[in-house]
Amino acid sequence: MRREKLGILLALTAVVVTACGGASGGGTPTTGAAIVFGAAVSLTGAQSKEGGLTKQGYDLWLDWINQRGGIVVNGVKHPVQIKYEDDQSTPNLSATLVQKLITDEKAQFILGPYGSAATATDAIVAEKNGVPMVEANGAAQSIFSKGYKFTFGVLSPANKYLTGVLDMAATLSPKPTTIAMLTANDNFSVEVAKAVEDYAPTKGFQVIFTKQYPAAAPEVSGLISQAARLNPDIVMNSGHLAESIAINKGAKQLGLNAKIFAYSVGPSTPDFIKALGPDANYVFDGSQWTPQVKYKPSFYLSVSEYVKAYKTKYSTTDDPDYHVAESTAACLAFQKAIENAGSLDATKVRDALAGLDVMTFFGQIKFDSRGINTFKPMVVEQIQNGTHYTVFPADVANGKPQYPTPPWSSR
Amino acid sequence: MSQFTQQVILGLLLGGIYVAVALGFSLVWGILNIVNLAHGALVIVGSYITWDLFTRWHIDPFLSLPIDALVLFVIGYALQRGVINRVIRAPLLFTFLLTFGINLIIVSLLLLIFTPDFRSVTPSYSGNGLHLGSVTIPYIRFGGLVVAFLLAGAMWTILNRTRIGAAILAVGADRDAAQLVGIDLRHMYALTFGIGAAFAGVAGGIISTFQSITPTAGDPYTLQAFAVVILGGLGRVSATVLGGLTFGLIEILGQSGPGPGYANAIAFVVLVIVLVVRPRGLLGRLA
Amino acid sequence: MIAREERVPRSLRRFALPIGIALLAFVILVPLTSTDAAQQAGLPLLADKLWFRIATTVAMFVVMASAWNIIGGLTGYASFGNVAFFGIGAYTVGVLVSSRGWPFPLALIVAPVTATVFALIVGIPLLRLRGHYFAVATLGIGVAVGEVVNNLAPLGASTGLFLPIVRSDLLFFYLMLGAAALAVCSTWLILRTRFGYGLLAIRENEEAAKIIGVNTNLYKVAAFCIAAALTGLAGGIFAQWNSFINQENVFAISDNVQMILMAVVGGAGTVLGPVAGAISLELIIQTLAGGGSKAVYSQIGLGVLLAVCVIFIPRGVIDFFGGQSRLSLRYLRQTLRETSA
Repeated sequence: MRREKLGILLALTAVVVTACGGASGGGTPTTGAAIVFGAAVSLTGAQSKEGGLTKQGYDLWLDWINQRGGIVVNGVKHPVQIKYEDDQSTPNLSATLVQKLITDEKAQFILGPYGSAATATDAIVAEKNGVPMVEANGAAQSIFSKGYKFTFGVLSPANKYLTGVLDMAATLSPKPTTIAMLTANDNFSVEVAKAVEDYAPTKGFQVIFTKQYPAAAPEVSGLISQAARLNPDIVMNSGHLAESIAINKGAKQLGLNAKIFAYSVGPSTPDFIKALGPDANYVFDGSQWTPQVKYKPSFYLSVSEYVKAYKTKYSTTDDPDYHVAESTAACLAFQKAIENAGSLDATKVRDALAGLDVMTFFGQIKFDSRGINTFKPMVVEQIQNGTHYTVFPADVANGKPQYPTPPWSSR
Repeated sequence: MSQFTQQVILGLLLGGIYVAVALGFSLVWGILNIVNLAHGALVIVGSYITWDLFTRWHIDPFLSLPIDALVLFVIGYALQRGVINRVIRAPLLFTFLLTFGINLIIVSLLLLIFTPDFRSVTPSYSGNGLHLGSVTIPYIRFGGLVVAFLLAGAMWTILNRTRIGAAILAVGADRDAAQLVGIDLRHMYALTFGIGAAFAGVAGGIISTFQSITPTAGDPYTLQAFAVVILGGLGRVSATVLGGLTFGLIEILGQSGPGPGYANAIAFVVLVIVLVVRPRGLLGRLA
Repeated sequence: MIAREERVPRSLRRFALPIGIALLAFVILVPLTSTDAAQQAGLPLLADKLWFRIATTVAMFVVMASAWNIIGGLTGYASFGNVAFFGIGAYTVGVLVSSRGWPFPLALIVAPVTATVFALIVGIPLLRLRGHYFAVATLGIGVAVGEVVNNLAPLGASTGLFLPIVRSDLLFFYLMLGAAALAVCSTWLILRTRFGYGLLAIRENEEAAKIIGVNTNLYKVAAFCIAAALTGLAGGIFAQWNSFINQENVFAISDNVQMILMAVVGGAGTVLGPVAGAISLELIIQTLAGGGSKAVYSQIGLGVLLAVCVIFIPRGVIDFFGGQSRLSLRYLRQTLRETSA
């Protein structure tokens, strides 16, 4: 009882203090109408995990910007709202929902969904409506080669996901030479794999095994046993979390010993380490961002502040993974573009996005003529003793690659 | 050659999982004439129980299988008695729609309770395997196959060597006649569905040991159970075993072909061909 | 099937018919308020972009549910592979427009043709199967075609196909509405011909139908092909309307389940049942789909709604509202007695 009263007292004090604080800052921007963002993310269905991470990223920025009173447009502070709709992991539904956000919810700007198929669908709706969309979770480049003017992607495109691992592998000794490549046959994963196959020979690697498997069917033991016979130095998987866990388990069971295991998506999430325990060690992944990168942001939070804000807001000890960070970055791109445009007009904000060049905790955000961020590098991280370490490129790294991966029998 | 042997072994091991998943599905379909679209969801409920017992009290996944069976039996019995019994005499499509609705509810509840995080059961021996020359047999999967055969044996024994089984078969053969000789239909329906659910739960327990679990992870298994039962033929335990092993083999051998991306396509095309050539499945009864 | 024959009770005819005509006129005329001419004349905007999106989606499902009804409801062959026709129609338009540079109208004419040819090829062997076996075989076809498309480079493989954006809400709405009208009229016409009686006879008792002289094989394949043509047409329109197609959005098994749900909830085997089912269910899905962080509860709601529908109004919505003892407790009790253990 007493504690409750104390709480109310504290809350009241807080209100009074903020009210005073607000009043004492007189002369600074007055408050304008709320800016409405819309996002159709998957909160149920097969991609609800990733959809949830996306929403976390958006909400982190939302709290921060509203604590500061909102986005400043020509000296006027506009508070921000984000309206969410659940697309149930169905791309077709996503299109209707984005239209609903624009028409009914009066969303002025669209934040992207999760996944390349939903992103393509939403991009077309945004284009038809002339509403800018910044997306953070669809890395397939096919969307950006269609001449759409209103869609921007803050993340590095799919072709960069695993090429960083090859760059790193080229610096190791003894240098690994052969690659076995496993690929889920979805849009994004195929682009990732294609880039590896094109890039590998230029760095002196040889792709000796490459096979696709049906996406979302984590039965890969047949493929692993085939790869195991070839004794590749590097095993790469271009797929998603469920498949990367299945492949790692399968590699141990079937005695596939490689010097490097590198997966496109999966190892960066806390779930990967929780699911595999010590078997997760030594695994590399190409990551859009890690909590260890050392960018010097020109606004918003620093990397360490961001990690702290995440842990506080979601009461967790886990680090935010890159899905969260890239989603926040999409919001930052909008914020900066709106500030630069000095207007909420859709076309002006679009133009400001096209000309954006800013450094954030997530890295540089700058779009090429197609609207995708080709200026931010990917980093390579490795799980060492149950913890993520950024190991490449050296200037942002906080650890050295542990190489070669010992065979399963001697771990 | 050893490459081929390895693939065949892996196919059979995978087939064991399909057998375990399909047994309950086949029973419910054969006796109650219900295509249970919530079957995959029930499987995953079993997986979550095993996962929960493993993370909370470190109970070995194989030891938690009886608990899966018990809990799922209760759930299945209640579902049939309370809900599905109401439409049991309606045409096929209605029970189909009803179970679709039940699937939606179970998956949503799992999402609420367990969140969409990927869960995994990883006992200490999970990565080990038996190495016979150049061929490897993972222990976990071998355990799964053994359990699948035990399940098949249990199903056969229940149906052919017990009074309850005789009653279940009687209900499947002729409902009205069964009622005339004093069998309580509502109870028998619920019992049958409960047993089907219990087998699904055990299958879920095995699945949790080699695959990561999410609330929607069961959906593909409904489809696969469908395919396995059709492939083997309805109404016989041995047919389900044959169907499951065949389906597993096709899937793995499909992966070593020119385009493993076609694995699903190949599996279903084979299914369609079997159906056209032998409409009752490989071992189905011709009645 | 419980909903045996077309029953339009007098009460329904008296009230529902004028209301239906008024609604149809509304649906046809409302979109015109969005034209420039209407806006300049100061008419209120009654159809915004969202209205068009939802109305076009609803019309699309009316086509799919009605087409399914012809093979599933009238003939009694529950097809789980109709979505393959939708996908084939969509990919026909997709490839012809995006890779071959055909004009959309020309490509759209080809879409139902390819779907029909495919239905003919798979229909002849598959329609010999009955009941569950037919259901599973068509499901297999649906899955297999989708997977093959996802692996074929000329069809864009997993990247899918992008079509040039056509910015005309009116065009796609009227196209889809036209397709829906075509589907409903086809059903109506079929039910008034020998062909239709033949199909119903096959559903009730195929052996008997054969004995009284129905060429069952021909009839079944014909019904399958008509369903395929209509579904393929809807797929073709969808491809250009959505401007992006891939395996995930045109070969979704969930869409196939949805069209069956709609036909059955509305009343399988009737002319207007699938229409009522498609409209009510799609609107419910669209309404529940929102809901932000409460999304999971709306999924549970949808599941409960389905269960309640199936248990209490198994003859479909059309029968429930049009039947003689409508909305009475007796009706509910009676249907329960008929179907429960």
